[in-house]
Amino acid sequence: MRRVTGVLGATLGLALVLGACGDGNGSSSGDSGGGGAKSAVIAIAADPLEFINPLNENGSPGIQIAQAVFAPLVATDPNTGKTVNVLADSVTPDKASRTWTIKLKPGNSFQNGQPLTAKDYVDSWNLTAQGSTAWKNNGFFSKVEGYEALNPPTPDGATPKPTSVKTLSGLKQIDDLTFSVKLKVPFSQFGLTLQYLGLAPLPEEVRKDPDAYKREPIGNGPFKLDGAWNPGDDIKLVKWDGYKGPNPPEADALTYRFIPNADTAYNEFLAGTVDFVDVPSTKIKTFKDDAPDQWVTSESSGANYLVLPAWDSRYKNPKLRHAFSLAIDRKSLSDLVGLATPSSGLIAPDINGYRENACKYCSFDAAKAKQLLQEAGGFSGPVNINYSTTSATGQIFAEAIGNMLRQNLGVEVKYTGKQGSEITELADTRKLDGLRFGGWGHDYPSIEDYLTPMFKSTGDANFSGYSNPELDKKLAEGDAEPNQDKAIKLYQQAEDIALEDMPLIPLYAKQNAYLHSAKIEPRVSKYTGVQALYSTFK
Amino acid sequence: MIRFVLRRVLTAIPIGFIVTLGVFALVFAMPGDPLRELAGDKPIPAAVLAAKRAQFHLDQPFIVQYLLSMKDIFTGNFGTTFAGADIAAQLRLRIPVTLKLTLLANAFQWTLGLLFGIYAGFRRNGLVDRSLLLVTLVLLAVPGLVAYFAAQYVFAVELKWFPVSGVLQGFPHSYLLPALVIGLLGFAGLARLMRTSIVETVNADFVKTARAKGLGEQRVLWKHILPNALLPVVTFIGLDLAGMFGGAIITESIFNLPGLGQFMFQAIKLKEGGVVVLLSTLAFVSFILINLAVDVLYGILDPRVRHV
Repeated sequence: MRRVTGVLGATLGLALVLGACGDGNGSSSGDSGGGGAKSAVIAIAADPLEFINPLNENGSPGIQIAQAVFAPLVATDPNTGKTVNVLADSVTPDKASRTWTIKLKPGNSFQNGQPLTAKDYVDSWNLTAQGSTAWKNNGFFSKVEGYEALNPPTPDGATPKPTSVKTLSGLKQIDDLTFSVKLKVPFSQFGLTLQYLGLAPLPEEVRKDPDAYKREPIGNGPFKLDGAWNPGDDIKLVKWDGYKGPNPPEADALTYRFIPNADTAYNEFLAGTVDFVDVPSTKIKTFKDDAPDQWVTSESSGANYLVLPAWDSRYKNPKLRHAFSLAIDRKSLSDLVGLATPSSGLIAPDINGYRENACKYCSFDAAKAKQLLQEAGGFSGPVNINYSTTSATGQIFAEAIGNMLRQNLGVEVKYTGKQGSEITELADTRKLDGLRFGGWGHDYPSIEDYLTPMFKSTGDANFSGYSNPELDKKLAEGDAEPNQDKAIKLYQQAEDIALEDMPLIPLYAKQNAYLHSAKIEPRVSKYTGVQALYSTFK
Repeated sequence: MIRFVLRRVLTAIPIGFIVTLGVFALVFAMPGDPLRELAGDKPIPAAVLAAKRAQFHLDQPFIVQYLLSMKDIFTGNFGTTFAGADIAAQLRLRIPVTLKLTLLANAFQWTLGLLFGIYAGFRRNGLVDRSLLLVTLVLLAVPGLVAYFAAQYVFAVELKWFPVSGVLQGFPHSYLLPALVIGLLGFAGLARLMRTSIVETVNADFVKTARAKGLGEQRVLWKHILPNALLPVVTFIGLDLAGMFGGAIITESIFNLPGLGQFMFQAIKLKEGGVVVLLSTLAFVSFILINLAVDVLYGILDPRVRHV
């Protein structure tokens, strides 16, 4: 029996030794970025990237890395909100805004030394435009003439016929540094779309065998990979001297660390091992106390909506839609969401053409809501609110909206939880019963990038299945108007139609919050949000 | 013995078929389109969707998809995930992580469980026994999620004894905290089983006989009581160990350990039938092998169930 006691004592001793040995470690922080004098570790709360290829990337983590490794043709100036040239020397539309001529600045090259020419853009874009390449930014080129020849329209579910066409007829190289893009229809905002990082070109050796370069990208931006990047590794970047674009980032080295669990990433920041982290939704109430003087917030340039189904005749009457909208107390809802601003329209406030009080039905007025519902003849049956079970907060927000509709309008409400992708699929096939949540953020800073995707009959994000020829006509007029100020006026008229028909009920715009260590100050701009890439160092 | 092993391996084949087919069917039956899930709310052009479907055999009927996945597994031609990760590279990265975590966690769990269990069993109703009862009751009631985050916050963020997450500091440092928490949460069951088993054996007739024969206390303890009391515990440990290739999804996520559990979680999120079946096969094979080893060990401990 004594022997047993002896072993027990030894184990306790072992535990103490283990504890002590942990003590010596762990305090050494991991923020040694990559050896440069000005280095930072940026946490990204997402599954690790498995390749770096801007043309096959439309998610936020991938585009964030693309911003560091690649450079766009044009960019938004963080101070003025105006579009400035980066790799482009000029972007000029013809009179009809249909053929755009893009001239590159001379003397730029890729990180492998290959000079950057117009051919790189033309060939990279052609490669992406081929459906068989299966890259995510294929859809961008659907505006370009000849897209259908590369992607023959096929009924849903059918296998597309193989095509031998490998180039867009609308894409032409003029000389070494000039190329032109001919669009299917006039589009006055096309110049703004060129700031999308997902259009960055690949050099010739990568284009030949893109799979071989999945983990060793050759970019043309301010940073390049520092050494090998194996599965499971952080992405380590160092400054690349060949980048000649305006306003280069101040950092000498950056490390991007992927931590899929957002709460864990937050804890890493509190322990001092990373310099920059997103505040997860679970910490919205506490982050200001957790990291005093080390947080920044910005309005996100996206908005969240309640989507009404255009295919259900019960929701057809605009008065009923206005009644629903007036019955929602956006202030309380925003408080529930946490860091959010009640929406007063369809466009984000930082967009040129935003009008503060464009929406007449976005305030909270229960009496008027009731009256409008009566004028519309009431609502038969329960209002079904769909929410995504994959979202932690979906059900809570659905119930908040449901309670407001029930209390303020006296309608019956029920809730249905489904997987996000299932809701999208049902809505796409016009089979979804009732309301759902939707969100949209612009890809390029134009009022048009809110109206076309969400409200045009053929819009990419037209979740409600809404269609109004009047609105489509106004958008087409705006697209064809080369004078930007006049174009915005036309778009605003389209917006007014959408607000009157109200296929979507604006709810709130989320704010983003971030924590940063004392040694860096991330760039905060009304126009481009918070960017760790452009941090200044102390 | 060889016949026994052969029979076990042969019966495993139809079971493996049923298990993998069942898992594949479950993933297949999950609502929603996997490729849409990957794209979020962004629309995917029909041509891209079709090319991706063809690449991942998603345009084939269910049973063909299953057979193609099995073929890929047996030919070692794993391919890539929907998100573009090379699956073979992922396995090379993740298997060692999961092994290190589970083995270290099990080492803690067994050491604590066996020692406390044995001691409490012999010193029944003593101080250790009573406190063990209380402590195990508390531990069994603590949800893992809470314990992991609390331990991470206290010992890594505040006290800085351990790294918060990740495997940058290598083995064993990066694994100590999660393994300790798993071990602590898991030892309760083992300790209680061990204790009860000892208590039962101490009062068995053959132990009384041994004492009546005049054998020394040490000899009775080590030669008569322990081997018999260990039998149910070996089964428990075997099952525990066999499940390790399933990965520890929650622990791996909170401590950001790139193991099989996180891989499985990603695959389920994206409804990647092929990857889920591959990981299930891996888990199944290891389960069969470890269980077999346990059964053989059983025979050594207890001659009555020896397989001739």
